[in-house]
Amino acid sequence: MSAATQLPPARKGGGWSRYRHSLWLLTRRDLRVRYSTSALGYVWSILDPLVMAGIYWFVFTQVFQRPVGAEPYIVFLLSALLPWMWFNGSVSDSTRAFLREAKLIRSTKIPRTIWVNRLVLSKGIEFVASIPVLAFFAVFSGAAVNVDLVWFPLGILLQAVLTVGVTLIVAPLVVFFRDLERAVKLALRFLFYASPIIYGTHDLPAELQGWAAFNPLSGVFSLYRAGFFPDQLDWYQVGVGGLMSLVLLAIGVLVFQRSERSVLKEI
Amino acid sequence: MGDVGSGAARQVAAGHDVIAVEKVGIRFKRNRRARRSFKDLFAGRTRRSRPDEFWALRDVSFTVKQGEAIGVIGRNGQGKSTLLKLVAEVVLPDEGRVGVFEGVAPLIEITGGFVDDLSVRDNVYLTAGLHGMTRKEVDARFESIIDFAEIGDFLDTPYKHLSSGMRVRIAFSVIAQLEEPIILVDEVLAVGDKGFREKCYRRIEELLAGGRTLFFVSHNERDLRRFCTRGLYLDKGRLVFDGPIDDALARYAADTA
Repeated sequence: MSAATQLPPARKGGGWSRYRHSLWLLTRRDLRVRYSTSALGYVWSILDPLVMAGIYWFVFTQVFQRPVGAEPYIVFLLSALLPWMWFNGSVSDSTRAFLREAKLIRSTKIPRTIWVNRLVLSKGIEFVASIPVLAFFAVFSGAAVNVDLVWFPLGILLQAVLTVGVTLIVAPLVVFFRDLERAVKLALRFLFYASPIIYGTHDLPAELQGWAAFNPLSGVFSLYRAGFFPDQLDWYQVGVGGLMSLVLLAIGVLVFQRSERSVLKEI
Repeated sequence: MGDVGSGAARQVAAGHDVIAVEKVGIRFKRNRRARRSFKDLFAGRTRRSRPDEFWALRDVSFTVKQGEAIGVIGRNGQGKSTLLKLVAEVVLPDEGRVGVFEGVAPLIEITGGFVDDLSVRDNVYLTAGLHGMTRKEVDARFESIIDFAEIGDFLDTPYKHLSSGMRVRIAFSVIAQLEEPIILVDEVLAVGDKGFREKCYRRIEELLAGGRTLFFVSHNERDLRRFCTRGLYLDKGRLVFDGPIDDALARYAADTA
């Protein structure tokens, strides 16, 4: 009989370290699967925003020549497009968070929030990995960098809170209302144009500018852009957006807790 | 979630309770396509049951002491697998409480954690990790996991290219290497060839001899007698008999005759 059959001593490690361990394992698995099955790997995760940025750059600087945003426009675009890919990717993947992994969820008892948080984390890592692209264009186009660049990490933090909140709401609800999957896709497409990505909040009509703050992404993007375009930093938007993000996170935690029992039965 | 056990409950003293199931009930929808409302979704545990729901288990109570080997018997659809899932804490009860005070190695849907596109090696690290093993612990056991599954030549093959027999073999050997004090076995071992099944059974016997607690669901009388000393007989979602395995099997035989 091998030593492994002896009764083990009491279990090691607290709940929190176990949580991190499982979260990291699944996040790494996500990234690994994504990169082991495609030849271009990392390139894909930046090619998508680059192509989109190229299109908008062409339309708004070459075709219309109507001034929106700020110069250099490509940096203005990318500083919101890359984080948008993070938000968009996490939320649209969260619609399948439970359904795709049903077999695994039915066989392990790790805390259920991991199934959602791993999506936010792996997409977040891809976002961080795409920052060099932004840096490259900033250098290449001669964008002026200022001290407000220190707010960049705050933008990441705020966006993480927001994204986790939204995905915690979406993921369990989709299990019960499958139609929500398509509704979310539609809402995301609307949100893309409703958020200051291809334009800045200053380009909005005056009566809409106050309302723009209630889209938490406005505050988040203004933090990212502050380092290149100091006039984009708007603390009113950041404050309202931060508050909205925290409220969404609280709602998300509540929805998730209340529906967990039913979700586990359904999948 | 997580462990309910306090420090005192974890002390390895022979015969302490490792599983406590108290007046547990769980209900499911009869019709999966049934209309749902937001009210249903967020209703707490106190909601009254509705006509299109049925109780898969109701009012089930028992405790399991460390080192016991328990066989769960009953006809199809009487709640055996649901009970196992409740003990594995992968579903949560609508009524009552399930307390599991030690780690669990669940042999339920064992191939569920494996990813088609990753190699066997990556999958072993992933699954073992999800059940709480650190990288170092997996390193130390990697050889014996692979030896047990007898698939040494396929380490770098994507999981999807394995035969279904090999898939079950590698999955079983990963879970069987977990150092968890409670083992849950659903009828997973029906798959795989005779030789390997015998090997799995010997492994379960070894684990039992080492002081593990076993929770075993099967229709096979011979297997039940081989491993188990105590039987739980479920009928229509109720626990109708809890006692020595031979008596439980006799009661089951009498009911089905």
